[in-house]
Amino acid sequence: MARTGSPVRLVIALSVAAVLAIFLLYVSVTGGTPSIQPSQLHGRTGDVALVGKVTGSPAGDAQAGGLRFRMRDVSGASASIPVVYRGSVPDLFKVGREVRVEGRLRNGVFVAKKDSLRTKCPSKYVAKRT
Amino acid sequence: MTVFALAIGAALAVTCVVFVGLPFLREPDPAEDRLDEPGALERRALELAEDRDRALAALKELEFDHRTGKISDDDYRELVGPLRARVAEALRALEPQAESTEERVHAAS
Amino acid sequence: MPELGRAALALCLGLALYALVAGAYAASTRRRRLARSAQNALLAAFASAGVASIVLLGALLRNDFSFTYVADHTSRELPTPYTISAFWGGQEGSLLLWLLILTGFSAAAVALSRRSAPDLLPWVVPILGLVATFFAFMLVVVSSPFDTQVAPADGAGLNPSLQNPYMMIHPPCLYLGYVGLTIPFAFAMGALLSRRTDELWIVATRRWTLFAWTALGIGQLLGSHWAYVEVGWGGYYAWDPVENAALMPWLAATAFLHSVMIQEKRGMLKLWNMLLVVLAFCLALFGTFLTRSGVISSIHSFTQSPLGGWFLGFIVLITVGSLALILTRLPRDPRGPRMESLVSREATFLYNNLLLVALCLTILWGVVFPLLSEAVHGEQITVSSPYYNFFLRVFGIPLLLLMGIGPLVAWRRASLRSLGRSFAWPAGIALAVGIVLLLLGAGSSWIGLLAYTFCAFVLGSIGYEFVRGTRARRALTNGNWLASFAELIGRNRRRYGGYIVHAAIVLLAIGIVGSSAYDTVRERTLAPGQTMAISHYAVTYDRLVRRNGPNANEFRAVLDVKKKGRNLGTLESGKNFYRAEQQSSNEVGIRSDPLTGEDLYVITDQINPNGTIAFKILVKPLVNLIWLSGLIFLIGSLVVLWPNAAEQRRLALRYRELRPLARA
Repeated sequence: MARTGSPVRLVIALSVAAVLAIFLLYVSVTGGTPSIQPSQLHGRTGDVALVGKVTGSPAGDAQAGGLRFRMRDVSGASASIPVVYRGSVPDLFKVGREVRVEGRLRNGVFVAKKDSLRTKCPSKYVAKRT
Repeated sequence: MTVFALAIGAALAVTCVVFVGLPFLREPDPAEDRLDEPGALERRALELAEDRDRALAALKELEFDHRTGKISDDDYRELVGPLRARVAEALRALEPQAESTEERVHAAS
Repeated sequence: MPELGRAALALCLGLALYALVAGAYAASTRRRRLARSAQNALLAAFASAGVASIVLLGALLRNDFSFTYVADHTSRELPTPYTISAFWGGQEGSLLLWLLILTGFSAAAVALSRRSAPDLLPWVVPILGLVATFFAFMLVVVSSPFDTQVAPADGAGLNPSLQNPYMMIHPPCLYLGYVGLTIPFAFAMGALLSRRTDELWIVATRRWTLFAWTALGIGQLLGSHWAYVEVGWGGYYAWDPVENAALMPWLAATAFLHSVMIQEKRGMLKLWNMLLVVLAFCLALFGTFLTRSGVISSIHSFTQSPLGGWFLGFIVLITVGSLALILTRLPRDPRGPRMESLVSREATFLYNNLLLVALCLTILWGVVFPLLSEAVHGEQITVSSPYYNFFLRVFGIPLLLLMGIGPLVAWRRASLRSLGRSFAWPAGIALAVGIVLLLLGAGSSWIGLLAYTFCAFVLGSIGYEFVRGTRARRALTNGNWLASFAELIGRNRRRYGGYIVHAAIVLLAIGIVGSSAYDTVRERTLAPGQTMAISHYAVTYDRLVRRNGPNANEFRAVLDVKKKGRNLGTLESGKNFYRAEQQSSNEVGIRSDPLTGEDLYVITDQINPNGTIAFKILVKPLVNLIWLSGLIFLIGSLVVLWPNAAEQRRLALRYRELRPLARA
């Protein structure tokens, strides 16, 4: 009966773990999308997730030509940037709500990926001061 | 409302404090206040008892697995011998243990 | 009244602290009366938490808006069931529910363990007291449900999407799970502190772990079902951090449930089990922490609250403390039992553990990655579904296979010949099913086909086990098949109950695979009278109906559904516009096929002013198997949980036969 010695098992386990860890690192670094606010958008050309508050007056048809609205930073006054979005619009979307949308900046307009608009549920766990 | 609340609050507090102090109120002057703890001998006995139960359970499971066909006749023949020996050993190990515990207890009382 | 609530909570804090301090002192100096007194303090803490809870509940039912909490989470027109569920709808109330359940479970654990594990109790009490102290402290100092204000005329009400029966049961169910994991943790630490590191703590808490694990599983299914029918994007799980918060401890607990069997049968893996129970508990705390602080951006994010820092500190304390205890108190046993064969049940359990823990840690990595990247790069990088789905497949599919192999393999060792014989039927069934599915077109997703084949293998092996067992039982007793079947399960509840649970997981897997790998999605804008074809359905938009409900204007598109020419009736899908909250919500239309478990899922994306409607329609095959699996899961868990009188007697007997005069 072969004696499954601990050193062998330990080595195998550690090497598997190491391989996994490296893979994990690789996948998360390349697969992730940076979440940034509108004020940090300037000059970035890659795909990002834009997080901010809806401002301005949304116009247009998300199902047809595209919904156009503006987004600004969550806190602190900042210039707003225009966003054009096509796809499903979540129920909670309205001016003043915090949203997240993926896409990239093109010619000064943030062109969003289809169906990537998400809103944050209004805080369930903190008192709403009405 | 506030008087009512006060009354309930006071009642709750008193009840809780009394309940927490109950062991001391019941036995203000006990003969011994020591928390039992298995001594080295008893720990060994408990260990052996667990060994015995584990061996018995393994034997029972082996029989069951054999009956349902999970373990072939050959495998069963190979495994049942050592397992039965383990059970016998565990039972044997417990016997002298019980004796010496009893002796110790008799000596103490 | 709020003063009574505050006083009760303060009293609870004092009692928990007493249980901690006096309990620890009594355990280390071996004082009997003091130890008993500490136990009583835990019971009294439950009573105090109960009184505080009654005060809050009363205030809710009375619509007493002088309580800030009541005003923030209810309104006069809110139906009573939702007024009651508002108890745990907000941060302070949910903490109070945590404390109530914690003290209740602690009291029960103390009472039930007096006879089965008296050695561990002296040290278990202070650990439970420690956790209770933390939550009571939060409630008294940081986040009290009994803050008062000048009562407004009406309360703020409950978010409409949360006014749903599922949202009523889902949080308490999850809490039963989170809190339930405290008990095995406390017993594990108690075992280390009492130097009783054998299997006693595992046997004493097995049912607690099982109960907590079941509650977590059912709670998550309820949450997923709510997301599916209420949030209405067509899915049931979005890998949101808050969702993952419940999944991670569940995965760790699943691994733990399996690895303790190895310790019970073979005495191995003591260190691993200790680490797992600590991991499960810390993940439960972490999960609670995640849903309280806005630390990680998520769709369900709740705003920043001071609670976050305290929770993190407590988690660090628990982690460091338990690791220190494990390092210093767990005896190293070099002569310990060895795994005899890589082809044994122990081995399959070990592989299953490695996969489950790997999946759990992968999810954890995905959840904390935004925080780490923010610390390193200055901006949050988030990972989403593709990352999680990838690893779910990588780890989940081998897990499926193991679920089928495990039951067929015996403990200690299995000769390859008997293995081959056992595998024949299940493997044959799996192969046949695979080929049939391939012919039916399931090859469009090879991962799906592989998963289905493995599912067939597992179901085949479970069925085979039941048949083998019933046959053997019948041979013994000469009874009929049904009686033998019932007897088989009754006499081997753990094993066959476990098989039932595995079958439920397989159903879950089939439902998930069917609705994700083989679903169809189509988007069209339709005018009244127009038809859209999807899969084997033809959906015609008939007309738009408007109804004025009590708190919302309801718009519904009435659709005619035909399947392969046969008329299936109408389906409504639309939106609600809530007048008071000035908010709209998606009300999806779902038509479930009772025979195939398939769903026709219609989302009204946009109602256009020109009378057309933009629809998004999904066909999700087999999705209802997911909900069915919850039922089977519950049944299987109940079978395993069922009390075994013989086992309890044996445990209590061990003490009695060895210390005959000690209790005189």
